Amino acid sequence: MAREECKALLDGLNKTTACYHHLVLTVGGSADSQNLRQELQKTRQKAQELAVSTCARLTAVLRDRSLAADERAEFERLWVAFSGCLDLLEADMRRSLELGAAFPLHAPRRPLVRTGVAGASSGVAARALSTRSLRLEAEGDFDVADLRELEREVLQVGEMIDNMEMKVNVPRWTVQARQAAGAELLSTVSAGPSSVVSLQERGGGCDPRKALAAILFGAVLLAAVALAVCVAKLS
Amino acid sequence: MERVVVSMQDPDQGVKMRSQRLLVTVIPHAVTGSDVVQWLAQKFCVSEEEALHLGTVLVQHGYIYPLRDPRSLMLRPDETPYRFQTPYFWTSTLWPAAELDYAIYLAKKNIRKRGTLVDYEKDCYDRLHKKINHAWDLVLMQAREQLRAAKQRRKGDRLVIACQEQTYWLVNRPPPGAPNVLEQGPGRGSCAASRVLMTKGADFYKREIEYFRKALGRTRVKSSVCLEAYLSFCGQRGPHDPLVSGCLPSNPWISDNDAYWVMNAPTVAAPTKLRVERWGFSFRELLEDPMGRAHFMDFLGKEFSGENLSFWEACEELRYGTQAQVPTLVDAVYEQFLAPGAARWVNIDSRTMEQTLERLRQPHRYVLDDAQLHIYMLMKKDSYPRFLKSDMYKGLLAEAGIPLETKRRVFPFTWRPRHSSPSPALLPTPVEPTAACGPGGGDGVA
Repeated sequence: MAREECKALLDGLNKTTACYHHLVLTVGGSADSQNLRQELQKTRQKAQELAVSTCARLTAVLRDRSLAADERAEFERLWVAFSGCLDLLEADMRRSLELGAAFPLHAPRRPLVRTGVAGASSGVAARALSTRSLRLEAEGDFDVADLRELEREVLQVGEMIDNMEMKVNVPRWTVQARQAAGAELLSTVSAGPSSVVSLQERGGGCDPRKALAAILFGAVLLAAVALAVCVAKLS
Repeated sequence: MERVVVSMQDPDQGVKMRSQRLLVTVIPHAVTGSDVVQWLAQKFCVSEEEALHLGTVLVQHGYIYPLRDPRSLMLRPDETPYRFQTPYFWTSTLWPAAELDYAIYLAKKNIRKRGTLVDYEKDCYDRLHKKINHAWDLVLMQAREQLRAAKQRRKGDRLVIACQEQTYWLVNRPPPGAPNVLEQGPGRGSCAASRVLMTKGADFYKREIEYFRKALGRTRVKSSVCLEAYLSFCGQRGPHDPLVSGCLPSNPWISDNDAYWVMNAPTVAAPTKLRVERWGFSFRELLEDPMGRAHFMDFLGKEFSGENLSFWEACEELRYGTQAQVPTLVDAVYEQFLAPGAARWVNIDSRTMEQTLERLRQPHRYVLDDAQLHIYMLMKKDSYPRFLKSDMYKGLLAEAGIPLETKRRVFPFTWRPRHSSPSPALLPTPVEPTAACGPGGGDGVA
């Protein structure tokens, strides 16, 4: 069914764009490396493939005049989400081009900003490419060629967006979103505990952990005192 | 600012880095406020105060952010820890923060905090939901995916990235009451505002009392009265406005026929009827129109009070003329109008006359203002109503004609709309008067 297919493609593109955004955040910072640039390249190539196929599919559907009104509305919603996603991707690509040019890795003109982010980002890239894990070894001057390719790809994506707007005309004001404000709260029961704990730590309160540690310590102390009393009694 | 931040990163000569210790995780690359101030003072050879100010500017623009109290963006020269912002989030004029990004950030925060957002953030969230409703699906999808992507990193990195994003949005969308650093407003009165009065003495309070007393005495007009005046103004002027009610013979911009401009030129022998009607609206309209003024002058000549208008014109010339002419003009005016026994002596009341003669000793541009105002009000209250009731004016009204509309051509492709295209301010009503049927043909042209 065309709708499910489009939805699945759009979800994939959405996931890849989010991962790409996450990776671009760290360019120029302390976690920047040739590996990161290679991961960026792979992620954006995957994103572009998905974008091209989604674009083709959605354009074909929307140019078909014999579509029922409610189906058309559904596809228009998908179209608006898709074009927004593509805009985000293009913006991120442009920013990564500029940041990559400002912080070149092979002949460091300027030292990288020490932002405190030190870990590897291979998990994010693996998620983007939908693989279990990713092991990349990039050469020393990967980013030079990468920047040129990135420039070309930015232009390509820009062209794709222009073509999209030419072929299909979906006025944005006619599209009504399905989700109400605050809908994200209903489905995120699982995301709760770990983030709550981390935020509490961040806030500097740390009370539950401290209380737990205090209780453990008290218990150990009591046990030690009891043992010492027993030993004293025995001897 | 970016260069300063980058030079701070130098491993040998940059700022000394420490580590931030949370309960289990250790995050490197933290700096203390005092280190930053010292480094700035050393590098740029400035005093501590200036270095502190420079550091505060860096913090306010989001290049460095505090770790303990993220909402107060200022640099404290003590042991409070700070960290550098990632270059993606540096304030840049090329990429102003977009509404869609802010919406995604708020949605993420909503998910993380289970719905407990700060007040102003809730407001922004609702407003964005209304504004970019069409993209809301995308916002939620992206928010969820970005959170899931972030989970793939270590806890320390996750914390740092969350702090970075929070700082970015604190700088770009400051909470209400916090100064918006990115605003480029007009810098007026900044020196006056910064003069903080340490002790509010008796003088200060005396000035305040005087100010408030004057403020009480100011005339205030009720908004209902203002609105009524506005409505009556619009009602009166409606038929005269070419955009609202079409212009005859035809709109020159559309029909390329400039008869309208020729007929309404400032000095034209036969003014149109609309123009003559306008002279009746207010005295100012009459005086501002050259033809109106000329006819009024004729009328005054018949009533033997033409010197009033001449005096008024001379005063206008004095006010708006060149500075070099002022003394000669003042003398000429005095000779002709004000001196006792002058050729065209104007009738001003004695008090104003005394004051004016006093002030004429030191002539400047505005020395005849009071006298001019007196004469103006005299003409307005006395001569102007008589002019409107006079035969002369009625004759002008009768003579003035309404220009004919240009005839419609026979061939369809040379049809032009008779009236100007419908104004976008007019809402299309289902029952349209006949006058508006004309513009219906002009839709194709517009």
